[in-house]
Amino acid sequence: MNTVALSSATAPAPVRTRLSWLNVWTIGALIVGAIVALPIITVIVIAFTPGDDIWSHLASTVLPVYISTTLTLMIGVGVGTIVIGVGTAWLAAMCRFPGKRLFEWALLLPLAMPAYVIAYVYTDILDYAGPVQTVLREIFGWTTRHEYWFPEIRSTGGAVAMMTLVLYPYVYILSRAAFLEQSVGVLEASRILGRGPWRSFFSVALPLARPAIVVGVSLALMETLNDFGTVDFFAVSTFTLGIYDVWLNMNNVAGAAQLAGVLLVFVISLIVIERLGRRRQKFHNVGGTYKALPGYTLTGWRRVFAIVACVLPVGMGFVLPALVLISNSITYFDAALDSKFYQYALNSVLLSSLAALLAVLVGIFLAYALRLKGGRFLKILVRFSSLGYAVPGSVLAVGVLVSLGKFDNSLDAFMRHSFGLSTGLLLSGTVAAVTFGYLVRFLALSFGSVEAALEKITPNMDGAARSLGHGPWRTLGRVHLPLIRASVLTAAILVFVDCMKELPLTVILRPFNFHTLATFVHQYASDEQFGEASLAALAIVGFGIIPVIALSFAITRSRPGSNGQEGTQ
Amino acid sequence: MKGLHIYGVSHSYGDNQVLRNVGLLVPAGELVCLLGPSGCGKSTLLRLAAGLEPLQQGSVIINDVEVANKDLFVPPERRRIGLMFQDYALFPHLKVIDNVTFGLVGMDKKQAHERAMDMLDQVGMGHHIDKHPHMLSGGQQQRVALARALAPGPELLLLDEPFSGLDTSMRARIREQTLDVLKRAGVATLMVTHDPEEAMFMADRIKVMGEQGRILQAGRPHEIFYHPKHEFVARLFGIMNSVDGVVIDGHVTTPFGSVSAGAINDGDEVTVLVRPEGIHLTDDQTPGVSVEVQSMHLLGHDSLMRVRMTEGPGNAGEFHVRVHNEFDPALIYPIHAHIDPEYAFVFPLGGGPIFDEPDVLDDGAAGENLSINQDTAAE
Repeated sequence: MNTVALSSATAPAPVRTRLSWLNVWTIGALIVGAIVALPIITVIVIAFTPGDDIWSHLASTVLPVYISTTLTLMIGVGVGTIVIGVGTAWLAAMCRFPGKRLFEWALLLPLAMPAYVIAYVYTDILDYAGPVQTVLREIFGWTTRHEYWFPEIRSTGGAVAMMTLVLYPYVYILSRAAFLEQSVGVLEASRILGRGPWRSFFSVALPLARPAIVVGVSLALMETLNDFGTVDFFAVSTFTLGIYDVWLNMNNVAGAAQLAGVLLVFVISLIVIERLGRRRQKFHNVGGTYKALPGYTLTGWRRVFAIVACVLPVGMGFVLPALVLISNSITYFDAALDSKFYQYALNSVLLSSLAALLAVLVGIFLAYALRLKGGRFLKILVRFSSLGYAVPGSVLAVGVLVSLGKFDNSLDAFMRHSFGLSTGLLLSGTVAAVTFGYLVRFLALSFGSVEAALEKITPNMDGAARSLGHGPWRTLGRVHLPLIRASVLTAAILVFVDCMKELPLTVILRPFNFHTLATFVHQYASDEQFGEASLAALAIVGFGIIPVIALSFAITRSRPGSNGQEGTQ
Repeated sequence: MKGLHIYGVSHSYGDNQVLRNVGLLVPAGELVCLLGPSGCGKSTLLRLAAGLEPLQQGSVIINDVEVANKDLFVPPERRRIGLMFQDYALFPHLKVIDNVTFGLVGMDKKQAHERAMDMLDQVGMGHHIDKHPHMLSGGQQQRVALARALAPGPELLLLDEPFSGLDTSMRARIREQTLDVLKRAGVATLMVTHDPEEAMFMADRIKVMGEQGRILQAGRPHEIFYHPKHEFVARLFGIMNSVDGVVIDGHVTTPFGSVSAGAINDGDEVTVLVRPEGIHLTDDQTPGVSVEVQSMHLLGHDSLMRVRMTEGPGNAGEFHVRVHNEFDPALIYPIHAHIDPEYAFVFPLGGGPIFDEPDVLDDGAAGENLSINQDTAAE
């Protein structure tokens, strides 16, 4: 009958040999993984290659300064983000006070502000010539700088303040989730056993949330190490600035790479801390389901304190700078539009879109290749190539620069030798180099979300599709892609926005005279012409808000009792 | 020969060997159940047959075509098999009808639609074609998954715990329907389950699997139940009464009476396993032992009773007895228990098989063929 006709319709099954790992997926993933891992490997190799004279010179002069400044910055930002992030997370998760629902997501807004933008804004406001000091002078009748003391914004302390203001949301979002995940029972038990809210917080809630806090802080510190705009503007001698200085001003790539190697030590310790934190996080997840938390209803001065504690970070980290940017943009609107704004905006958008597209494609390819055949070597390589998110842009830039330079030179030599043609520096100093840099740095974002989305699809789905006669490509197209569409889109947006904000990689790798919004803002701010660049800065912040909106939706959904998780609320 | 033929298959995950030299045969048109506890490797064997897992050692042959050995691997999409998972794995983004036409590769649209409709009608889901899987109940999803697996007309159907996702009230009905559809399709089917009752109900032939995929016994449901060749097989179907003893003159003496020891040598220590329904309670004193009732639990059609020996040789233990639900212990006194040899099985002490089974090497190929020949002769 029908069945027989159907089964004899197809030709006898062709047969493949045992070397089935030799397919486009495994080989492709190995090649792509190797290319993406190349810059980081390059830096490591150079760092461990016996150095020339410059190294001892650096070690005896600037290295101690770099180390102490970087450490100071990290400790400052670490403490600052923990205090603000954990404090506001506790208020938003466990307490009841007016405006709580607003603050729950508004506390994320500073995430949209790149540290360098906020640094320019506050310098604008707090400088000697800025409005604050001017008003103070007018009120008190001072006429010169020497008659009064005012904190210097362009200092290590200033850099700590700027970065804390925009990076605390990392700690906030993770510790809030951790507080919400804690079983109410644990806290109630603590109360019943005679501990007050404060002691319960310190003896139960905080230790349980510690792994999440550790992850949040290490992410914030990775961003701190990555920062270039702020420290450059404030002339705070961190490693990132040092790398830039040694490479551009001393014209010494090897020295820059060796500095980058030392910086990698910091990064690797952060990665280890983060991984350990994540591992323990799994262990610490006590209750699986969200329950409506009882929450402490705050009254009197406590209520006022809670509101102030939430208003300050949002106000200083987002509202005030945004208002300044808007007012500057209006004042300098004509000048800003004159100055090739559209060209730079277009550069930014095109470059970021291209990078986002590439990152998503490569991310899907690698994640699916791992799903098809997760050999151990491939797994390690892919993990390694997605380390970029932790590695500061300046370090990656050096890695990209050196490895592309090697590639260009060998290609040139080969072409000259075989065909008598010179290809010159084919990729170095081109938009391709910048895009590659973005890909290396942000691949982890897209790979991570694609991998997480794929993990939610049971392998039986693959089995079903395959047994129904669809090969790996068609299965990907007809089953997986439709199912992970939303995550892929989210990943693309995240990468896009991060590329829009990206500064250190772009500054080093961009072609001569090529500007993105970020480099444009940086250059104008460095030239004390921040007013003209405000519109561009505002545009960057505008794009930065997109993922914050997405995150705040997630926050609203995770709110205890919402979305039918508790049904009756 | 037609159907599925697996032999000499060994498989390890890292250092953990889950299958050791396993053989298996599913003749065309038959439904074979692979019955075993979780972790015995039965699902792995299914995945190897499907091609979801690369074969490390041995051979898989489907309808006379070798599809896998250690140098050869035909990917699942070229094996023309149907596969149904415990979680059904319906594509959540596709409507019921699109799920079923999914596997009709290379067929023109109209034809594929007709074929899918035909299959959906057969499983009684013809009027749900525009729904998405999440709108269906577990039983409905199961039927769609079955239609989807059968639609391309596979030469072999593999079912992985197809009913374990259903609640008990529904399971019996769906099981019956599935069996009807499978019989109509006449496709060679290998079904994996850990539920003995399910295997008894569905299977033409049952293969009981022990550790590392060792086939402890293969046979018709009747044989598995009435002639277990292994203590493990005998214990599959619920509570057992166990009495240790020694073979004397080809018989073992139990408190309830004497049982034939079959091929076991005189003087060997043995365990006698008696099903609860294998102990009869009467007021006839001659063959048995006097017992008193400890407790009685009504299970529905019958009752499970715990009795204790009031006298007897040494071990005055407790035993389980299954009686009809209308049995009233108050009506007979004194109560005597005696054994029904049909429900009593004798095994060498220490858990080995009663008969010297062929070496594991032959367990698959030779042993299998032998039993097939016997079966065909009987039919």
